[in-house]
Order: sequence, then C-alpha cells, then structure tokens
Amino acid sequence: MMRVDRRRGGPAVGLLAVLFLTAGAPVRLTAQDSQFGIRGLGTPGRWESVRARSTGGAFAPFDLTSPLMEASLADAGRLVAGAMEGASYRRSELAGTAASLRETRFPLMGLSGRVFGRLAVSGGFTTYLDRSWDVTIRDTVVLRGTPQPYTDEIASDGGVADLRLAAATRLRSWLAVGAGVHLLSGSTRVSATRRFDDSTSYQKLQQSDEVSYDGFGVSGSLLLDLTRALRLAAWARSDDRLRARVGSVVTAETDLPNMIGGGVRLAPSPSARLAAAVAWRSWSRAGPGSFNTLSWSAGMEVGAGLGPFRLGVRGGQLPFGPGATAPTEFGIAAGTGRAFAEGRGIIDFGVERLQRSGGGLEERVWTFLLGLTIRP
Amino acid sequence: MRPGRILWLAAVVGAAACVERATAPATCPAYCPSGSLTVVDTLLRGAVSRDSAYRGYVPAFHAGVMLAAALPGIDSRAIFQLAPLGVRVALGTDTTTSPIIGVDSLRLFLSITRRDTAAHNLTLALYRLPLGIDSTTTFADLAGAFTDSLAKTVNIDSLLARSNGKDTVTGDSVAVDTTKRVAVVMRLDSSQAPYASADSGKLALGIRVGADSLASIALTVDTIRWFVKVDSIHGSDTTLVHKLYARGVTFRSFVFDPPPAPFGSMLAVGGVPSARSILRLSVPRAILDSSQIIRGTLILVPAVPASGAPADSFKIEAHTVLADFGAKSPLVFDATRTDTALIRIGATGATDTLTIEITNLVQFWATDTLAPTTVMLRSQAEGANLAEIRFFSSATPASAPVLRLTYAPRFPFGLR
Repeated sequence: MMRVDRRRGGPAVGLLAVLFLTAGAPVRLTAQDSQFGIRGLGTPGRWESVRARSTGGAFAPFDLTSPLMEASLADAGRLVAGAMEGASYRRSELAGTAASLRETRFPLMGLSGRVFGRLAVSGGFTTYLDRSWDVTIRDTVVLRGTPQPYTDEIASDGGVADLRLAAATRLRSWLAVGAGVHLLSGSTRVSATRRFDDSTSYQKLQQSDEVSYDGFGVSGSLLLDLTRALRLAAWARSDDRLRARVGSVVTAETDLPNMIGGGVRLAPSPSARLAAAVAWRSWSRAGPGSFNTLSWSAGMEVGAGLGPFRLGVRGGQLPFGPGATAPTEFGIAAGTGRAFAEGRGIIDFGVERLQRSGGGLEERVWTFLLGLTIRP
Repeated sequence: MRPGRILWLAAVVGAAACVERATAPATCPAYCPSGSLTVVDTLLRGAVSRDSAYRGYVPAFHAGVMLAAALPGIDSRAIFQLAPLGVRVALGTDTTTSPIIGVDSLRLFLSITRRDTAAHNLTLALYRLPLGIDSTTTFADLAGAFTDSLAKTVNIDSLLARSNGKDTVTGDSVAVDTTKRVAVVMRLDSSQAPYASADSGKLALGIRVGADSLASIALTVDTIRWFVKVDSIHGSDTTLVHKLYARGVTFRSFVFDPPPAPFGSMLAVGGVPSARSILRLSVPRAILDSSQIIRGTLILVPAVPASGAPADSFKIEAHTVLADFGAKSPLVFDATRTDTALIRIGATGATDTLTIEITNLVQFWATDTLAPTTVMLRSQAEGANLAEIRFFSSATPASAPVLRLTYAPRFPFGLR
C-alpha cells in the first residue's frame, strides 16, 4: 500500500473534495461514447478505480475501491470514500471519415468500511452501461415527387448505473468472501432531429423523450491467500434483464450477461506487486449483434510513498459490433498516486491508451484519469 | 498541502472536467441507432367538408383605399365628399369673423398607392358630383354626373415626363416617392370647383381612371386647400384678403359595375364587399395526437380565375378561428398561426391549382386539440382590391379542396 504523507493538510482534503465533485458540468455530461455501443446496449463501464485502471485493470480484483469484487472489502480497516473522473479524447475512423470526440465522466463513487467485527460493507455506484452518443446522418427522401436532402441527428445522453450494496468478511486469515446486490438504474434523454435542406417547405422535425432503465443483479467473490506473497481472486456475477421504459410502458427487455472472472497477485516485496486478471461475460444473451467477451489484463505497481508507479496492459473483446465477430480492444495504461493530509487523502492519476477495431471502425482513445480517496 | 499545489490540482481537475458535445458522422446501418425517423406524406381527400363562402366583411366605404378601374368586365369609380369650408372665417386672433365672398382656386392632393406600371397614358378624370353621396349611393345613381360634370382631366404619364413632374400652365404636378406611391396635386380654378355659400363650400367629386390598358388604381385623397377671398371688415378697411384653408374628406367610397355575381356552390375570396370562405377540416386524430406535422398544404382548384391588372394580384391569408360560428367566426390574428398564398393575376398558370401552406395552422391544432380545425380564407387587404378568386367547393367532388399532410410518426424511443 501507498505510504501516507504525514504533512499537515486537513483543510485541503475538504477543499479538494469539493473541487472534485463540483468541477465541470454537474449533471448531464453529454458527449460521444464509443460508437461500437450505438447499435447495442451501450458501452459497458469498467468497474475499476484509477489505481486499478492504471494497471490495465489487473489490480481490480484486489482493490477495495474498485467495485469489481466484494471480497477485497474485507481488508477495509476504516471508512473509505472514493470517486474518480475520466476525460477521454477519442479519434475514430470509419469508411474514410475521421472524427475527433471527447467525453468526460464521473464513473465511480463509493463508500466502504468495517461495521461489525470483521464484516465490512460498501455502497456506491459505477457505470454499468454508457449510452451517450450523437450521430448525424445525411440522406435524401422523395417527398411530393421531389428528392429532399436532409440531415438527421439522433442523440442519446445518459446511461445505466450500477448501484451496489456489498458486504465481505474474512472467514480465515487466508480466505475472504463477499457478496453483493446490484440495482441497475438509469435513464437516457433521446432526441431525434431532422433538418431538411429546404427548411422553408419542410419544418424541422424534432422529437425527444426520456427512456428509463432498471435491472437487478447479484454477485459473489472470494480471495484466497496461498502464501503471504501470492493471492488469488475469483468472482461471479449474474444480472437478469434490463428493462427499458418510456413513461410507464416497458418498451424493451434485454437479457444481461452472466460473468465470471479471476485474478492472481504476486507481491515479491513490499514495494513491488504484479497482478493479472481475466473475465468472461456472456453478452451474447443480449441479442443479435452481441458477443460473449473474454478480457484479460496484466499490470504492476512498484514503489510506495511519494510516488508509486503503475503500469499495465489489457486486451479483449467488446460486446457489441456490426460484424460476424466481436470487435477487439488493446490498451496500455500507466499512473501514479500521492497521499496527503496525513494520509487522509490520496490522489491518483492515470493515463490510458486504447485501440479498438472491428467492423471497419477504428477507435483510438486517450483517457486521463483522476481519482480521489478520502479516509476521514 | 501548499496553496500552490491546491491551485495546480484545481486547474487540472477543472481542465479535465470541461465537457463538449461531439457529434460523429454515422455509417448506417452498422453504426446507426436501430430506430430512425420516418416521414409520411398523405393526401387526405374528403378532409374538407361543410365549406362555404360569405360576403360583406369590408364594404367599399370602409375600404382603406378608393378603387378606380376601367377594365374589361369591371368599371369602378372613386367618389368622395370634402368637408365644408363654411361661410365665414376668422382672420385675426379674436372671435370676429369675415365672410367668404369667393374662391381663387383649389388644390386637391391625391395619392395613387397602387397602379400597374405597364399601363400607359394613365389618366385621371375628375367629376363634380351631387352633394349627399353616402354608403347607399350606387353606380347607377352617379352615371349622369360621371357623364356631364367633368371638371378636369390629368394625364399622369405626361406629368411624369415633365421636368419635376409639374405643369406650370395648369398648376398640376406629380411625384413618385420611394414606396412607389404617386403623389398627385390637381389645381382647380373657381369654375372647376365653384364655391357655393349655400352649401357652406361642400364639394363632392368623383374620379374615373383611363389608360391604353390595365387601367386599375388604388388611391386616397389626402387633403384639399382652398384659396379663398375674404371680405375684411376691420373698421373702414374693405380690402379683400386672400387666405388658404385646408379641409379633409368626410366620406369616401367607390362604386362599380357590375356588382359581384352570386357564389353558387363555389368558394370565393377577395372582391368588394370582401368575401371569405370557411372550410372545416377533419384531420385524423392519430396524426394530430401522435405525430409531428412538418408540412400541411391546402389544395384548391380555381373555378373562376381572378381578373384584373397584374398589379391587382393579392395575397390570401389562411386563418384559424377561435371558435366556429360560421361566417362570424372570430379569427386568430397571430402571425404564427397564419399562412398566406399569392394570387397572381394575368400570370401564366393563373388557373392552375392553388396551394396554400397551412403548416402553422395544423401544428397549432396538434398542440391544442380543443381548437376547431377550421380555416377561414380571406384577402390580406380586404376591400382594397376588386379582384376575386373562386374555387370549387366540396360540393364538386372531382375538384374539391384537398388537404395534404407530411408528418413524422413518433420515433421508436426505448427500443434497443
């Protein structure tokens, strides 16, 4: 773990927390997410803190601020609150057309701590599906015998959050288990606009509505310490269906995936840790154009105290795409962290470079990550 | 933590939190949403029913202008009566008055607000009319006066061709301002506009218009100026005083022949007294309630094309009504709920099917489902144009009015 900075700075913790939680647009963050998710359910979120994501996600099963596994909460000593922000700069190329896009997200916020003896609980939210996108379409329709060119803009702004309530305990010194329930909830503001080039004859067509989503899931996990330096992790999760509603009418029900995953962490010295993780998700249950995904990651964290250095790689598949096979992604990530205010606060920085491809679409993404963890 | 570091971190957080909307071009169908906007264009035959025409909204004597025309099929003459001058006038600041013993001359100021610039030798003929003309005066009542009481004739084109538009011999002049209005000043001597003390100087005049062709104008009388001779009675001074007095118009109208023909089963818009047509539309609730209207067009087939000079082309307005009381339905005078169409006279295709865009009206009905789906057609400048157009009504099914709607059904929100 990171060695805390013992210098004074209590008021700064609160100030930074306020800055973090209020900077930028507070509610509706509208931007383009991955185009691979437009025709599917969306872009699945990563249930990883900045620390874990800076290692390619390899440390997520062992990181108590990452909501991937519950068993890691068993190591929570006291109340911990965390949140993160990510700003992505995306360049996509499709059929010879390039677009530069940008998004900002606050994908993670959580609170955890030990409540009764060895029992630790956690509550918080993370992004389950990101459904923000905005596409323009140029086409022509024949109206009253005359071809009428038009531009359609169809936009979706919002997503589905995973509200998790989890508990974990250490049954043995070498075994920790955890379980969680997940309430999936969210909404998107969908708008469809058509502008005819002949705006004098044909007025602008604009329709919008709010689509709400709900679902439910359960998960369980365990941590097994084979030696003092070697830890194994395993987790499983099952989500039922994602229901889409417009008003009170259910407009769609989509099966959500079952997931299993695991990881291994090796800590040969207090200042060097290596980890790897793998996960499988049965996204093909979601219907046509969906694929089961297998993702992997490997990473390391070296150093402690003033500036640990994190590095990781990840790869795998994306669940939605237009082709016969799932789109793939590969990424590398790096980051560091800094404790302050006598260890009551930790700021983590990370940067991630992703490359996604499939179905003729190429995406290259730079993501800058900022995380704040507070231990009052 | 030092303040410098806090500021640095705040800057980092703030920069990272900046959000902008970005739009990506789509390649369909692979990277497009599964739902899309669809547009439907439909012709609603039989959507117009219980349509009829009414006349009498703006009669000639309430029109904003006087109409004079000498066209094939219509002869219209402007008539007006001037305010009395009186028999005595005050010369000084006290209440003492002096008698008018005669006039030197009179200047009549007219404005031609609409004319056909293709009309050549445009001539105004001024006639003295019997006093007592009013709203009941007919064309036939004044036929005699318009035959034997010619006071003066002015050729507008000849005056325009002169330097400064002025005839120094007759004292007449014309000028064209930036709005194409022609200001005419006609000078009348005492024989052309005699002062009758028994009538207190009242004067009734009429104007006929003539031209090689396309003789049709709209005009107004702005004022007259009397140059009178007044007998001063201040003490022993009996010198005649020449004074100028201005007077306005107490009545103005125009008479024309022949009178409008009955509508029969046709719809009509325009003319004098002005005619309006009311049409009740039946728009399917499925379209009004659940779709977005992007274009609505009322299609009318002319039964009798509008006649007149090209300058008499006029605009038709389509209004919705606050409540449907038939001929007396109160109109909604709101620019966002009014649509217009131009009726061109003399243009190629004047008898073609007329389309009036009523998108604003249909969209209004979609937002207020309790509003009557009734359209009233009227001339934009009622009473200011003799031209009238007539359409087939729903009584003639083959040429009945038709409503054409272009609309978009609801976008399939909530689908994957």
